[in-house]
Amino acid sequence: MTRRLDFFYDTLLEFQTPVTDHEFVLSCVPPSFPGQEIDVTDFTVEPGAKLSRQLDPFGNLLFYGCVPTPHTSFHYQVKGRAVIDHSKSDGEGLMPFYKYQSKYTKPSSEMLAFLRGLVLPSGTIERAWALAEAIYDYLTYLPGSTGTATKAEEAFSMRQGVCQDYAHIFLSLAREAGLTARYVSGLPEGSGETHAWCEVYADGKWVGIDPTRLKMTDEGYIRIGVGRDFGDCPMERGVFHGVTDQDVKVYMQVSEQ
Amino acid sequence: MDDLIRHKDQINRHLQRYGVKFGIYKNGEFREQFFPFDPIPRVITAEEWDSLEKGLAQRVKALNLFLKDIYGEKKIINDGVVPEEFVYRSPGYMAECEGIVPAGGIYSHISGIDLVKGKNGTWYILEDNLRIPSGASYPLIARMLCRRCSPATFQENHLLDNRNYGDLLRKTMDSVNTGGLNVVFTPGRYNAAYFEHSYLAEKAGAKLAEPGDLYVKDECVYMRLAGGDQRVGAIYRRVSDEYMDPVAFEPSSLIGVPNLMSAYRAGNVAVLNAFGNGVADDKGIYYFVPKMIKYYLGEEPILHNAETYLPFYEEDRKYVLDHLETLVVKDVAEAGGYGVVFGDKMSEEELARMKETIQAEPRRFIAQEVVDFEDMPIVMEDGSVEEHKADLRAFVLSTPDDTFVWPSGLTRFSRTSGFIVNSSQGGGFKDTWIESR
Repeated sequence: MTRRLDFFYDTLLEFQTPVTDHEFVLSCVPPSFPGQEIDVTDFTVEPGAKLSRQLDPFGNLLFYGCVPTPHTSFHYQVKGRAVIDHSKSDGEGLMPFYKYQSKYTKPSSEMLAFLRGLVLPSGTIERAWALAEAIYDYLTYLPGSTGTATKAEEAFSMRQGVCQDYAHIFLSLAREAGLTARYVSGLPEGSGETHAWCEVYADGKWVGIDPTRLKMTDEGYIRIGVGRDFGDCPMERGVFHGVTDQDVKVYMQVSEQ
Repeated sequence: MDDLIRHKDQINRHLQRYGVKFGIYKNGEFREQFFPFDPIPRVITAEEWDSLEKGLAQRVKALNLFLKDIYGEKKIINDGVVPEEFVYRSPGYMAECEGIVPAGGIYSHISGIDLVKGKNGTWYILEDNLRIPSGASYPLIARMLCRRCSPATFQENHLLDNRNYGDLLRKTMDSVNTGGLNVVFTPGRYNAAYFEHSYLAEKAGAKLAEPGDLYVKDECVYMRLAGGDQRVGAIYRRVSDEYMDPVAFEPSSLIGVPNLMSAYRAGNVAVLNAFGNGVADDKGIYYFVPKMIKYYLGEEPILHNAETYLPFYEEDRKYVLDHLETLVVKDVAEAGGYGVVFGDKMSEEELARMKETIQAEPRRFIAQEVVDFEDMPIVMEDGSVEEHKADLRAFVLSTPDDTFVWPSGLTRFSRTSGFIVNSSQGGGFKDTWIESR
């Protein structure tokens, strides 16, 4: 099924005192690849900065820039149209490292014991689904219970977390169970916060699975970033001069055209 | 030689004034220590050097080809020569470097290869250091001081001159420079090796840059200079990968150059050594270097590894478990002489525990036969001479067209009776003489 979607993504960083020499890299623009066609109609960064565009080895679009002058807010917005058609998906961006544990996903002995306690089917998709079900039952979704630096083993021992943690725990167990799997961040249909899910490599193509919502991803999901874990694809990274507290407001919306 | 021994204290006083020291971590604490010089040199004959030189160049050529392959086509994995888990589980592997081909295709521009000479006269490679190997300035400065103290010694002995290191370094930087200044990037004057950074910058005719001196604009690197900022074409950095770019890697790094990775990825600056080299000097990968030499160069390795077993392979695992008490076991994730245990020093209980760990995590270890390497005479405080274990770090410089082995090197000796010779664990150094005929 092909779906045509409008998307809008907005992040506002506010600093309590002005910062300078703000060097950043944004990975907030969804790329096009087989199965996802993107037409960006608007992309703005404020304060304005000259952006240079690169592609990283995971397949993410990066925009580098610097705001040298004092500023108390950093605001970026992306608007566009997407055509999603999973029948066109393939194995783009497959790298051997997706088989191996990464910084956020190293399993604890507790997780390994949990995995040993599961009876897993042999098919890749069936196996992925069984893991997602087990994780969904084991964890409680609790906003604010973890942070962006939380590792899979930490969230697992607390038995709670948000989509990022569900994804990391899924990747950890899936890789341990012999699957090739990667982390995906992006925009699901609806409005509110951005989301994170996973893809497993099966029969020559990537198949999306959302452990937080316990569903296979459908054509309502727009992918922005992809990597071994969150660490490879945060939407924004930056350093600046200044001592300040910072506040982040994120809003996104995806709707049928 | 007696003349040099007479000048031992004087040379050491000068070295102290230069700030020849190194930093060590011990019991979780960092401290700096003077690196004492012993006046009796290691002497390598011209004939011996000929084979060492060829063997070292061969090894470094293969290691550079390996790095290019790993971050590119991965033929050596696909052809089944190196199992992929040794690459992707290595802490030194950096996925961020996939697909990036550094200027000239060279990854390890300055390599420090550690060797020991067995009592049987054979040289063995101990480890490859392809990230930021240090120590070239020690023999460079020591030789200069020795010449000054005892010029006659260097008229009586016919040695290859080692004063060309700065030129070699400059040539190496020039060969990959993308247009602009050559810069030596140091973490700063509080770093234990600051004297080496500043000394090498001066000898190579490069600018010395400290944190804050470099910045990136429009995918190019610039240096802040009093007379106006200038473009940088090559950075010989003495800061480890993860601290080089706080945006791309470790956000808490205060010493890096933000967004350096953008300039590097765009091919607008050469970084010596390249990012991600740790995958090739990993203790697990060490086992495969002789295979790499055959694979990439179609040649027999001239220099030998210490006999190494990989518990990852069942046959080797069986051997290791049966002979653990005579082997040395190394944890592949550790460096600097840490994570190294000798079977003959372990109690029954420790041996049993080690065997269990090896069976549970075979990929984590390598095991080696203990090389009974030669002792060298060291002049002690009271003037007496004692024999202690010594190794050799050879420096190999690579350009896209050539591989040079510096006719010198850092001979380090231990102050204790152990087999681990590493400046991180105490000890001192000697000059290394290469006879010219």
